[in-house]
Amino acid sequence: MRKKALFVISVLMVLSLILSACGQPTPETITVIETVVVEREGKTVIETVEVVKTVEVEVTPTSVPREQAPLVQGTLPREETLIVGQLTGRIGAPSNFNEWVGWKWRDRGMQNLANEPLWSVDFATGEIIPGLASGDPIYNADFTQVEIPLREDVAWDDGTPFTSADVVYTIEALMANEGFSAHNFLVDNVASVSAPDDYTVVFELTQPNSRFHTTFLDRWGATWIMPKHIFETVEDPITFEFDPFVGTGPYKLHSYDPNGFWTIWEKRQDWDKSPTGILYGEPKPQYIVFQSFANEGAKILAQLTHELDAVDLSAEGLKAALTQGESNRAYQSSYPWVVNNDPALTGLTFNTAKAPFDNPDVRWALLLAIDIAEFEGQAVDGTGTLSPVHIPSLGSYPQNFIAPMESWLEGFTLDLGNGETFNPYDTEAPQRVVQYAKDRGYVVSDDPASLDQAFGLGWYKYAPDEAAKLLEKNGFSKNADGQWLLPNGQPWRIEVLSRTDTSHLSFKNAAAGVQQWKQFGIDAVHVPSDNSSALAQTGDYDISGEWPAQEPWGAGPDLYRVLDFYNSEYIEPIGTVTPGHTSRWSSPEMDAVIAQLRETDPSDAEAVIAIGIEGLKLAVEAMPGIPTFGYIGFVTWDETFWTNWPGAENPYSQPYTHWGPFKYMTPFLEPAGN
Amino acid sequence: MAFIKGYLIPRLFQYFLVIFLGLTAVFVIPRMTPSDPVQRTIAQLRSMGSYLDPASMNAFIEDLTEMYGLEGSAFQQYGAFWKRLLQGDFGVSFFQFPTPVNQLIRISLPWTLGLLLTTTIISWTAGNIIGGLAGYYNRSRWSKTLDTITMIIRPIPYYIFAFALLLLLAYVFEIFPVSGGTDIGRQFEFSLHFIVDVLKHAFLPALSLVLLGTAAWFQTMKLVVQNVNAENFVQYAKLAGIKENKIVSRYVIRNAMLPQITVLALLLGQIFSGALITEIVFSYPGLGMLLYNAIITGDYNLIMGITALSIVAITTAILVLDLLYPLFDPRVRHL
Repeated sequence: MRKKALFVISVLMVLSLILSACGQPTPETITVIETVVVEREGKTVIETVEVVKTVEVEVTPTSVPREQAPLVQGTLPREETLIVGQLTGRIGAPSNFNEWVGWKWRDRGMQNLANEPLWSVDFATGEIIPGLASGDPIYNADFTQVEIPLREDVAWDDGTPFTSADVVYTIEALMANEGFSAHNFLVDNVASVSAPDDYTVVFELTQPNSRFHTTFLDRWGATWIMPKHIFETVEDPITFEFDPFVGTGPYKLHSYDPNGFWTIWEKRQDWDKSPTGILYGEPKPQYIVFQSFANEGAKILAQLTHELDAVDLSAEGLKAALTQGESNRAYQSSYPWVVNNDPALTGLTFNTAKAPFDNPDVRWALLLAIDIAEFEGQAVDGTGTLSPVHIPSLGSYPQNFIAPMESWLEGFTLDLGNGETFNPYDTEAPQRVVQYAKDRGYVVSDDPASLDQAFGLGWYKYAPDEAAKLLEKNGFSKNADGQWLLPNGQPWRIEVLSRTDTSHLSFKNAAAGVQQWKQFGIDAVHVPSDNSSALAQTGDYDISGEWPAQEPWGAGPDLYRVLDFYNSEYIEPIGTVTPGHTSRWSSPEMDAVIAQLRETDPSDAEAVIAIGIEGLKLAVEAMPGIPTFGYIGFVTWDETFWTNWPGAENPYSQPYTHWGPFKYMTPFLEPAGN
Repeated sequence: MAFIKGYLIPRLFQYFLVIFLGLTAVFVIPRMTPSDPVQRTIAQLRSMGSYLDPASMNAFIEDLTEMYGLEGSAFQQYGAFWKRLLQGDFGVSFFQFPTPVNQLIRISLPWTLGLLLTTTIISWTAGNIIGGLAGYYNRSRWSKTLDTITMIIRPIPYYIFAFALLLLLAYVFEIFPVSGGTDIGRQFEFSLHFIVDVLKHAFLPALSLVLLGTAAWFQTMKLVVQNVNAENFVQYAKLAGIKENKIVSRYVIRNAMLPQITVLALLLGQIFSGALITEIVFSYPGLGMLLYNAIITGDYNLIMGITALSIVAITTAILVLDLLYPLFDPRVRHL
């Protein structure tokens, strides 16, 4: 009895410590400075205008703005320093910046600040931003030659001018050394590379390839250009650490933690010699720190104490940070708060090389057994944007693909057997999610356009009876306990693989799927594994929470990147890594679509959209993976020191600090004056 | 001479045999897991957002296999492993390619040693002294109070306890930093500033380990002392009128210390595995996170590097303990 009492006291003590950190907010008025995008001559201009306004906020005692901005832990001037969380965590090899070999934690500031690619994708604006290139690639008629114009007046951060010689050297070095990640792709595709002048490079290709240039297009990674004057002096470019890093971006390396927790970048004095400076002007922060934390609690505490300006959290972490930090804001100012324009689609992937998931009827039956409103509520509290096809419902994709496919989707039917058919598409599905949100007490806009953007255009009906008919058509049956049996009479057990990180959308999709299928009478089991990505690639799973389709570029209408992963050339037997999509699904019809797309000029929007739609139809019919909702980013920004973040009301740039175009955001951030 | 022939040489043979078998196990076990380093590297690159051209994937796999030294039979790899090991080289880390394993260990080891060596010795010393006295004077008020406090602290899961300390002393009262081993921007230097900075960052992780560690040693020592105190030879000493100080130090605590010394030696050896949860809660550098990441990424060489260190440390600690044990317990003689 005494032990029990003491245990209760100890638990209460810990709780009291936690609660004491969650003090009641008290009202206070502060003055903030923010900027807005203005319209000039009838056009939206990216320039910003400063306005001063007074806002009513609630402040907790611990987060009162300090009278005088302190130094960043005693070292950097805080008001000139932007501190952001590093998405991929602590750097394993802090002194190694040689990104061309293996994984080097490039979101530590290499890809997102200090380096400029030839082009970058900005998924928020749908633009392809030319960095080191000065325009689009120019292909010849049969796509065996491509000419790339380069930007003039760019210099490396050590002052050496950037020219076409750097590009030629990079390609030749990558082709000459097997250890470089891009080696095999370039050897397969490049016959020769030359520089007719200082600002033009010409590639002769080994085979027609209308998308060759995309290897230089930064979508969270690309083939970067090496500084020739540094690498040509190195004996072994594979083991060369490239420390200090030298890039063409607006920031240069200041210092880094030998233990891998932080990297500091300083604004170049000659920032106007970087493509960022040339395109958008002077970046505002003098220093930018990328800091990693080993747990989410520390991230939140750091943000509440104003030691972290921007960070990616989990759904639960986002709520805690917004509730406790009065100077914190999310991407959207109200429900669903989250970043919902990330160009990735989440969901569930079937292993179509394994029975019974090799049967499209079974795959569709499992989809129809899902109540998407309940599923999304369980997974992400209803905050995701639904997509019925294998691309996310964001940017121009709904307009170019999903809306034009709606009439086809409404006419699409499934054969339930015995001459019965069923139309699964449901334009009301997003409304069911909205109703879920309203029932939870969230305030949801009534504006149809906002609803379409936030919740999607449609999904599929919750139809367990039709799902049962599809299974019965294929020999499945139910036992006396209502549990589904395989055609051979054995109990049907499904293992749903996911990552172990409970905040990852792979985990959340898998957990919600298991709940839905259990309710339907299947013995479904959730199997989180640290090895899930590798297991999915070798086909050692039934269903997984891996993305149901390869991510699209996020800009432009070309779906080659998505559909090519279903290419039958990439199918490998179970046990061997598949280079294609982990579903291991392909079809002759899809191969034909891919071949047609390969021969089509990616800049011919009308043609690539029409071919892309045909590919998406094939994927819907076969349903190798269940598309659920677009990737959700749980970003919080502390506005104590920096404002004018690209939130939903002003999406002048993609909102993440780990994506490449973060460097293009830096000229638009504004010091808050604290 | 009899000691050398009869005890030391066989004991040293056993010592090297255990190390050999341990290192062989370290070579074999990671290769029996389903985690293939090449597959893990590709999976990791893809999950980190890298686009790997599908058409060039097979050639990329071959290149990685060659670069990682995973070509050839298991016996050939085993031979190469010993050849490198005898030169003090564990090869390169696969996941942090081409960084040498020795370099990764060299960076993390001082933090782990500094934190765990200090906290283990402090908590062992404090816990045993206080626990020993509390066990002997177990009817006193202060002994009961300490007993109550440790009974409150001990059941709290370490993660919760450490995070509560972090909340209290880094957020509610902003005395200590939230995370890291040093301030942002602070570079290594021999200066008072740097030492103070390192100590400031180490304080909370150390406090969490010392408090829980001391409580654990306190409780075990108190129980052992209470048992020894009830032994006939202690009762006889009391009846014989021997001074209480002498009974406490020579009769009770000395006997009660024997199992504690054995556990301390093992704990000191285990230090080389790191303190994973401490490193996670306080974002503190060390070997724990390095080993964890090596395991989940199938980084054979790094796993072998860290565990080899741990195997050598534990077996050495046991050897030293065996050789020194007669000093603590005169009843034990090595011939």
